[in-house]
Amino acid sequence: MSGQGTFENRKGLSGIAWLSLALLITWLILPLLPLALWSVSRSWYFPDILPSDYGLQAWTYVFSDTAGVLKALLQTTIIALGTTVLAALIGVPAGRALGLYQFKGKAFFEILILAPIIVPGIAVVLGIHVVFLKTGLANNLAGVMIVHLIPALPYMVLVMAGVFANYNPLAEGQARSLGANPAQVFWYVTLPAILPGLLMGCFFTFLVSWSQYILTLVIGGGRVVTLPLLLFNFASAGRNDITGAIGILYVLPGIIVLLLAARHLSGRTAAGSLRQI
Amino acid sequence: MPDRWRIALLLAPAVLVIAGLFMGGLVLGFARSLNYMPLIGLNDVNLEAYVAILSSSGFYRSLLLSTYISFISTAISCVLAVGAALILRRTFIGKPIVNFLFQVNLTVPHLVGAIGILYLFSQSGFFARLAYEFDLIARPADFPAMVFDPLAIGIILQYVWKEVPFIGIILLANMQTFSKDYEAAARSLGAGRWQSFRFVLLPLILPGLLSASMIVFAFTFGAYEIPALLGQNFPSALPVLAYDKFTDVDLAARPEAMALAMIITAASALMVYGYVRLARRHVRS
Amino acid sequence: MMRLLKLARKHTAEIAVAGLLSVTLPIAPAQAEDISAKSWDDIVVEARGGTVNWFMWGGADNINQYVSSWIGDELAVRYDITLNRVGINDTAEAVNIVLGEKQAGVDTGGAVDMIWINGGNFRTMKQGGLVFCGYVDKLPNNVLINWKDQSIANDFGLAVDGCEVPWNRAQFAFAYDESRTPNPPKSIAALIDWVKTNPGEFTYPAATDFNGSVFIRHVFYHAAGGPDQLLGDFDKTVFNAVAPKAWKILNDMKPHLWREGSTYPTSITNLQQLFSNQEVALYFNYDPAIFGINVEKGVFPTSTRSYGLEDGTIGNTNYVAIPYNSPNKAAAMVTANLLASFKAQYEKAKPDVWGAAPAIDVAKLPAGQQGQFEALPRNISVVSPQELAKKALPELHPDWIKAIEKGWQENVAE
Repeated sequence: MSGQGTFENRKGLSGIAWLSLALLITWLILPLLPLALWSVSRSWYFPDILPSDYGLQAWTYVFSDTAGVLKALLQTTIIALGTTVLAALIGVPAGRALGLYQFKGKAFFEILILAPIIVPGIAVVLGIHVVFLKTGLANNLAGVMIVHLIPALPYMVLVMAGVFANYNPLAEGQARSLGANPAQVFWYVTLPAILPGLLMGCFFTFLVSWSQYILTLVIGGGRVVTLPLLLFNFASAGRNDITGAIGILYVLPGIIVLLLAARHLSGRTAAGSLRQI
Repeated sequence: MPDRWRIALLLAPAVLVIAGLFMGGLVLGFARSLNYMPLIGLNDVNLEAYVAILSSSGFYRSLLLSTYISFISTAISCVLAVGAALILRRTFIGKPIVNFLFQVNLTVPHLVGAIGILYLFSQSGFFARLAYEFDLIARPADFPAMVFDPLAIGIILQYVWKEVPFIGIILLANMQTFSKDYEAAARSLGAGRWQSFRFVLLPLILPGLLSASMIVFAFTFGAYEIPALLGQNFPSALPVLAYDKFTDVDLAARPEAMALAMIITAASALMVYGYVRLARRHVRS
Repeated sequence: MMRLLKLARKHTAEIAVAGLLSVTLPIAPAQAEDISAKSWDDIVVEARGGTVNWFMWGGADNINQYVSSWIGDELAVRYDITLNRVGINDTAEAVNIVLGEKQAGVDTGGAVDMIWINGGNFRTMKQGGLVFCGYVDKLPNNVLINWKDQSIANDFGLAVDGCEVPWNRAQFAFAYDESRTPNPPKSIAALIDWVKTNPGEFTYPAATDFNGSVFIRHVFYHAAGGPDQLLGDFDKTVFNAVAPKAWKILNDMKPHLWREGSTYPTSITNLQQLFSNQEVALYFNYDPAIFGINVEKGVFPTSTRSYGLEDGTIGNTNYVAIPYNSPNKAAAMVTANLLASFKAQYEKAKPDVWGAAPAIDVAKLPAGQQGQFEALPRNISVVSPQELAKKALPELHPDWIKAIEKGWQENVAE
């Protein structure tokens, strides 16, 4: 029934499909190009298609001590890593519960944990700000990490629930019957089995925290400056060259991670993790 | 039988975080919108904030704008994503590159895409300069306004740019799950390409498409930084209005900000409800 | 994949430490004694090793550079103080933080140590009890400040009362590209006619922006025939008599503006972008030094020139203020003193650094230092502050400004 020669497996595409594909590829890359070009331009006025003068002053500024860009990069990274670790610690057990077991009220918990994906962050953070202020969690990295959990945790739970849905706990039972304690069971049996999915979940969680703006703006109170905040400031200030440089710096880590993991991250893996949605 | 206590223990941290931070934030915001926050000495409950919001024409225009942006962005993204997924599930030369580009797009934050759109589509942006090169316009003002404009074209373009790969990847996952046997069977029974799509494939991917579009709609409805960067200042999108009121030095505006946040939440809750209902109907296969 | 895992594991400890540190650090020790009772030398000693979180408008990277590098280095080397410049989009954000903290009962250990501020924001702080006062006469460089000058002793008509230290003088001016616009309008009356013959070439930021608001006030002065009847406390009758004339002028201009006046740039930096992209022909700013800086940075063309209006332009002083709940008051006071020093004021007056007009009274300096100020070259794109000062118009009380901004929003924008 399915095999070579059916319409899906025919190699190559029709003319329209090729055109659409070409447009798609161009469209995907296009917005990133002006950023790259602006970052190396010194003067680029209308109506020039290309800069009239090139220069590296934007990059010099970005890497200078006083600009605070490198500090922002570090803070963004630390926050994202912290959020990811917290999300993993909390999300893996929750994913196991939701993926492996059926129980009364499961649907309720599913909706509860996934609700933050739907409800926008701004609605939540304005209310919780006062609590963070009074408990000393405002204006510091720890508070921002915690508040980033709100949008990030559901993705981790989602991915891990999917992982555990296809997981057979039989091996755990066998290890236990052979005398392994729970920690050893987790480390030698469970973890290796869920690792690919876990890394995927970490990747999504990291990205969610990496792109947060309004949550960091409100809870960070100006004292926690992440790259998106800096980027927004320079973009609205009209310093296009510096904006371009910071923008490139901001997207590079994600692309580098993708390249590094390219072997393990085929379209299937990314897609499979999002299957539960 | 699974130990109920074990399940509770596994779920507890996540539920605590969500209940504490997420629900807590919503509840506190709701209380503050009613001017009730004993923590900081506000004790008399009143509906002034809601009255002020619901009687200002600015609010309705912002609501309309946000709904319009979300609806159009989601609709266009869904259509284009289905098309993209149909192409990408086939085999062709250069497919790994396209897959890679899709994934790169997932890692690029919305803000960067928005800045890119700004540099491409503003009246002195790349396409305007191309138009000048081909003698289509004489000054920047002659180029159609696509950013800071009433139709929010730039904002919609940015959302479409980011959401087509997002929805596309979800659709691809769903398409891979289902056996191509269904479609092949339909074809062998004489169904045309369109019929095969409309009556076999579409119903199969519909659940995933619906849930993805719910997420996209909710996200575009509540996002702050993209309309803040690319939008007109009046009427502004609902989240921009809420944040402006939150940072107003006039403290009376703060409950209004909370009220706006509650309205945004209510709209998103409707989305969740809608998804749950639709999912229940379609997913039970 | 294993590499990623190792990376995550390696950082766990760092994150834990960072998390712990960042939670514990902000809880600074409360200042037990009243700092106003101390001598200056004691204050300098107490300030050593401290940090100053200075929240200031961050839209100009030359100012950012001057503050972070020059001021930061001076503070570190001479006083062992660490300066943390926090760039914000709008001064109201910093005021908002202090306000939120006061409302939440955070009376010590606030996040903000110093704010670059004036006008309505200062008024909010002074009237809300958010600002630390009574220390200014302790500062050694206070002798350089001419408190007899009403425009320094009063911040937008509100008495400074020892709650602020002057940092800059600013006076509104227009800029244009002489190669594109050889004959810019030199008065509000001329501008009204000019937009009709040059449609789409002019706009101004919305009233929520500091610079947009002052442009609208220039039109208001023009409609009132001058600022005289507007000075002093807010007078509703006068406002109701003048406002309709001002709105009529702005509404008449509306269809000839950029985008036919259907939207206005959100901030002065948006207008700056429009000007450098040649989407509009005129730019303006409270701080004309920025025109020269932008030319140096390649943001504006070298043919940029600037001018004041024939009927005069509004000028003001801007200051630094210390919030009541700052945990680093001693260090902030030392910083404020440094800002008012000859060295710091001279450095910022250099056209390639900022070109900003000094807030100290140059006449009170020794002759050699006076000469240095006079010898400073001037950027050709920047109109001379002395020339602008000949026709300086005063600022209005913040209540007037609030009414004008609100009136604009209701009568012109919507």
